[in-house]
Amino acid sequence: MSFRERLQSWRYNLVPDHVVGEILTKRWTDNAIPFLALVATLATFGSIIPGFFKLTALQESTRQLGEFSMVVTGMTVVMLGGGIDLSVGSIFALSCFSAVYVFFILEQSIWLALAASLATGLIFGAINGYLVGYLRLRAFLTTLVTFIFGRALFDILVTTYAADVQLSTATSDVLDFIGDSTFWGLSVSVWLAIILAIVTHIALTRSRPGWHVLAVGGSRRSAHNAGIRVRRTVFMTYVFSGFCASIGGFLIACRLSGAGPGTGLNLEIMALTAAVVGGVSLGGGRGSVIKGLMGAIIVLTMTNGLIRLGYGTGTNQMVLGIMLAVAVTIDIRWLKNRHKVLNEVYVAPVYLKMGETQSAAPGSGTPYELDNRLSVAEHIGLGELEGPEDVILDRDDNLYCGTRHGEIVRFFAPDYVKSEVFAHIGGFPLGLAFDKSGNLISCVGAMGLYSVSPEREVKRLSAETSRSWTSIVDDARLRDPNDCDIAPDGRIYFTDSTKRYDAHDWALDSIENRATGRLLVYDPKDGSTKTLLDGYRYTNGVCMAHDGKSLFFAESWACRVHRYWLEGLKAGTAECVIRDMPGYPDNINRASDGNYWMAWLGMRTPSFDLSLRHPDMRKRMTRRLPQDEWLFPNINTGGVVKFNEKGGIVEAMGDLTGGAHPMVTSMREHKGYLFVGGILNNRIGRYKIAGADPNWTSPASYWGAKP
Amino acid sequence: MILDPVLDLFRGKAVTIPPLDGAFRPNTRLDDAPAFAELTEPDNLLVADGRLLASSGNAIHSVAAGAEPVVVETFPSAVTALALSPSGELTVGLESGKLLIGGSEVSLPAGISCITALAYADDGTLWLANGSAEHAPSQWAADLMKKGASGSLWKRDAAGGDFRKVAGEIAFPYGLHPVGKDVLVSESWRHQLVRFDGATGSRSTVLTHLPGYPARLSPSADGGAWLTLFAPRNRLIEFVLQETHYRQDMLSQVPPAYWIAPALASSRSFLEPLQCGGIRTMGIHKPWSPSRSYGLVVRLDQKMQPQFSLHSRANGTRHGICSVAEKGGLLFIASRGGDCILSVATGGF
Repeated sequence: MSFRERLQSWRYNLVPDHVVGEILTKRWTDNAIPFLALVATLATFGSIIPGFFKLTALQESTRQLGEFSMVVTGMTVVMLGGGIDLSVGSIFALSCFSAVYVFFILEQSIWLALAASLATGLIFGAINGYLVGYLRLRAFLTTLVTFIFGRALFDILVTTYAADVQLSTATSDVLDFIGDSTFWGLSVSVWLAIILAIVTHIALTRSRPGWHVLAVGGSRRSAHNAGIRVRRTVFMTYVFSGFCASIGGFLIACRLSGAGPGTGLNLEIMALTAAVVGGVSLGGGRGSVIKGLMGAIIVLTMTNGLIRLGYGTGTNQMVLGIMLAVAVTIDIRWLKNRHKVLNEVYVAPVYLKMGETQSAAPGSGTPYELDNRLSVAEHIGLGELEGPEDVILDRDDNLYCGTRHGEIVRFFAPDYVKSEVFAHIGGFPLGLAFDKSGNLISCVGAMGLYSVSPEREVKRLSAETSRSWTSIVDDARLRDPNDCDIAPDGRIYFTDSTKRYDAHDWALDSIENRATGRLLVYDPKDGSTKTLLDGYRYTNGVCMAHDGKSLFFAESWACRVHRYWLEGLKAGTAECVIRDMPGYPDNINRASDGNYWMAWLGMRTPSFDLSLRHPDMRKRMTRRLPQDEWLFPNINTGGVVKFNEKGGIVEAMGDLTGGAHPMVTSMREHKGYLFVGGILNNRIGRYKIAGADPNWTSPASYWGAKP
Repeated sequence: MILDPVLDLFRGKAVTIPPLDGAFRPNTRLDDAPAFAELTEPDNLLVADGRLLASSGNAIHSVAAGAEPVVVETFPSAVTALALSPSGELTVGLESGKLLIGGSEVSLPAGISCITALAYADDGTLWLANGSAEHAPSQWAADLMKKGASGSLWKRDAAGGDFRKVAGEIAFPYGLHPVGKDVLVSESWRHQLVRFDGATGSRSTVLTHLPGYPARLSPSADGGAWLTLFAPRNRLIEFVLQETHYRQDMLSQVPPAYWIAPALASSRSFLEPLQCGGIRTMGIHKPWSPSRSYGLVVRLDQKMQPQFSLHSRANGTRHGICSVAEKGGLLFIASRGGDCILSVATGGF
């Protein structure tokens, strides 16, 4: 091994590249960027400004934060519903004025002031909502108009009544409490903001109106088609936004005991920036209250920090503008390209040097030598079937197979011309086995282990095992259950081929070649599922040995067959019995002569074997080429191989023309015939085995003669 | 986007090839055409004295409708190029690097060892394409995978004398089409047709971004030309050409038949590389799937621009077409990958 190759093997086998892709599949990565921005902002200003985190300073900023975050919460809801509300600043200011007017000038109670404040917000919100929701005007222009109108009204009112407010002598303990005191260490505004945030969050994620808002924001038309009242939902988001802004306005009225020309100025820009910086999508439907709050903290820290560093309003606005621009760009680019990034980084190949193999080429004289025998097999269900991965026969000679439509199809003996859908499971039924009482057990790709009774009743046996400690993507879920077999005591041993790819992407796993295949056991007595072995390169076929004391299982991408001991001295351990085959093994089944049949789903090629030693090349390949162009193992040629109890190869046969059985994933011997299936084929083959026992059947071999 | 060049550093630049579109729009004409004659790996076609001659291995055969090909002449090594002089002498290039005119060997300068094409201009000038300075014609795949560009163009005046080198550093010149004093050369590894000035040897590209590796050119009756492309461009192969370490290991450790390289025929052994799109699914081999071999003949007009083309797609068998010949309203097409010669009526286009 050259030094470069050794480096490659270290680099690609020791560095867990696959973690990046797995993390990116998590929805919470959407929150990662705003969260990092939040941490960076706090760290930066906290370290530059001395005493930034001091309690007194915090008290003042949190009060401000409470008011601000309420406005942001309202804005977030509007944006989630697919709109935008530019009038929050003027509603905020007008609500503030309403409270001030009622309390200081009319000298009414503080509760009446609160009611006036809320009424102002709701009325303005309702105007916005009516225009945008029911009359379907553009949200941007409509709320811009409300903003200008509200602001102008506020300026007129403030200049008219400013002096009167100054002269008023009205006081209230409640007002002072809301404005200045704390409750359990936090000011009232912060408490209110927290309560509002929690209620809104629960409403959005766990209530019908909340889901309607997200649905409308995600796709207006689909929401309409689904029967959601789109117009009313949009209307309500603006009313809610007005409501939030008015509470904020009331709180600032209490805090400042008055209203000035600066009240609520530029608040709409700040709220919008906060929501977008937090990661609430401008397009609607994506985001959360928590994101909005994160954005609020970032924006407020930034603006307050800049002010304390001595920068003026101009700089502040500039920074806000830049933040908004960056956030919008990231928002749009990320949404658009996230799946592309995921596609590009998900496949993380590892290094593997395959062992030297004997040739399977015709004329090579090895036991693996393939021929054309399978090309003469009669076909069953040609053109009707799609994807019979495994085939099995019952005691009455009927033939069963799975299809890619999630069905189990039964062909009737003796001629296998007539067929029916025996059961519909879903997923992709792969390995099949009959248990003692005649239930058909199936490994269903992308779903789990299922049982179909003779009365066609479908029952799920297992869909999960225990989760491993280091997994990022939940590996308790069975992702690609592939083949199963049943021990004499009724326990079902089955394989889950890979933790990295879904069942229909099984061939991609060969490019990556990461060892994530498992052998599991399901115990029908208590319904539990246990992982027996982990870390094989695509575990595939399982077959109970004739004596029932051990089982064979195939490790496809490593071209090996292992034996797992169920009892005896080596119980619970596995040993490799066949290594370095020239083909990729799939299902294994019993043969009538005491040996075992093994299907080859494909053949090793020198170019692919070499690429396994160049993980960097494979990684670049997956990034630079579309999937259709990727180098694959040659799965256009397969075969059937017979091996004995000790792992010695007895014979091999194939279809080198590729016309009938290019890829073979399973075979089952029954009364002197071999039934051949292929996951990408459109038929089942029926091949007469020379010299085979014409009475031998698999159910009898497992469970004895007919009871 | 504007950031693409920067992002490409991290994500890798996409490998792209020209699409089969316009004049190259796929069809199945080559697979639909009847086989005119069965012959193992027919390479060069030539019309001489009204007979159709085809080279196959060490021999030149005479091919006629409804009859088995008849051996006309055999040589000590494989025939790699054929031409007919204005005076009717058969000119033959051999794998061993020898040139025979009318049966007698012509002494060649030391630089010529890989004769891939021969052509006489109207004035009797003999043009000779030397594919590579390092490899014999049969080792073309190695020349491509080593990114060879050591081919050269030679000519001998009608009056006789020695061959004179007109131009060098050509990436596998594979076809010749004299145009007046100049010559049109198919530069295979660069997927283009280049025109060389007969006097100065200066080059000018005529047709670039071909969707395959161009092979021989032959004249058509109306003054245009027929261009054959012996293999398709394939994104995986182009990717491997950029992968230095993998490519070098492949050249040194994998038998040439199983390289990730263009081929004259494919899917004959399970040891050949397979691409995802080429997987047989439900009994179907997709015709548009990526393939190492393809059949493609292109008709060029008088300005050497493509007009239309004849195809044998990924699921077809008439692949690896290196030479065609037009005779009496029929176009004869030699498919090396399909082991046959086809005939298509030119009036039908």
